[in-house]
Amino acid sequence: MSIKTKIEIANNSRLLKKASKELLDTLKAQHVAEEIVFDIHVGFEEALRNAMIHGNKLQPDKKVKVEIEITREEVTIRVEDEGEGFDVSRLPDPTVDENLLRDSGRGVYLIRYLMDEVRYEKGGRSVVMKKRLKKKHIDGG
Amino acid sequence: MQVNMEEKNGIAVVHVKGDIDINTSPDIKKSFDQIIKNKKDKVVISFRDVDYVDSSGLATLVEILKRLRSYGGKLKLTNFSAKVLGLFEITKLNKLFDIVDDEVTAIDSF
Repeated sequence: MSIKTKIEIANNSRLLKKASKELLDTLKAQHVAEEIVFDIHVGFEEALRNAMIHGNKLQPDKKVKVEIEITREEVTIRVEDEGEGFDVSRLPDPTVDENLLRDSGRGVYLIRYLMDEVRYEKGGRSVVMKKRLKKKHIDGG
Repeated sequence: MQVNMEEKNGIAVVHVKGDIDINTSPDIKKSFDQIIKNKKDKVVISFRDVDYVDSSGLATLVEILKRLRSYGGKLKLTNFSAKVLGLFEITKLNKLFDIVDDEVTAIDSF
């Protein structure tokens, strides 16, 4: 089984929610566990939000490209904006005490925490993230 | 998203219903204008009907906390679902906010 989707989304937060809902509905229809759907929900929306706000600077003429592949084992999502990119390694850690009151930085942190694999390409304009759809089995011995 | 406010024993109790995200955060911020204008110093926000908070929502809550603290106000958050509480724990915002299990405990703990 493989479901592939390729879309372009205008820089509009209402369309962000629509794209997210379509992905979540597809995952639920595939009976993906609720906690995994929640992690993908957060990861996908944070990536779209970063692309629209920080990448495309909210410019209405710019678009976000999205590619999604769902297999039995995992979901792979690519989100690409038309901005100048950024250096993810230079983002401050939002979880240290002196940064807790800051307004930004949590989106990228949540993506990296909740998704199983995350890599940035094209100078930070594109993020590719994977989430495994099956929980790891722990041997009781 | 809906925001309902009531006053209990001089404490402003705010019930939020719906997602707190990129689309609703500006409305949440606006909803607190009156509380902050009136310098309410004891505020509880109930998350009983909130299933999802994104980083815009987290930033908005941090901003509300900062505005309340600017005049000595105190904020307690309550009734989290496990998933939403998880987001506060991942981002370590559980260290910044006073998170209480239920509304009655929140009100009694001021």
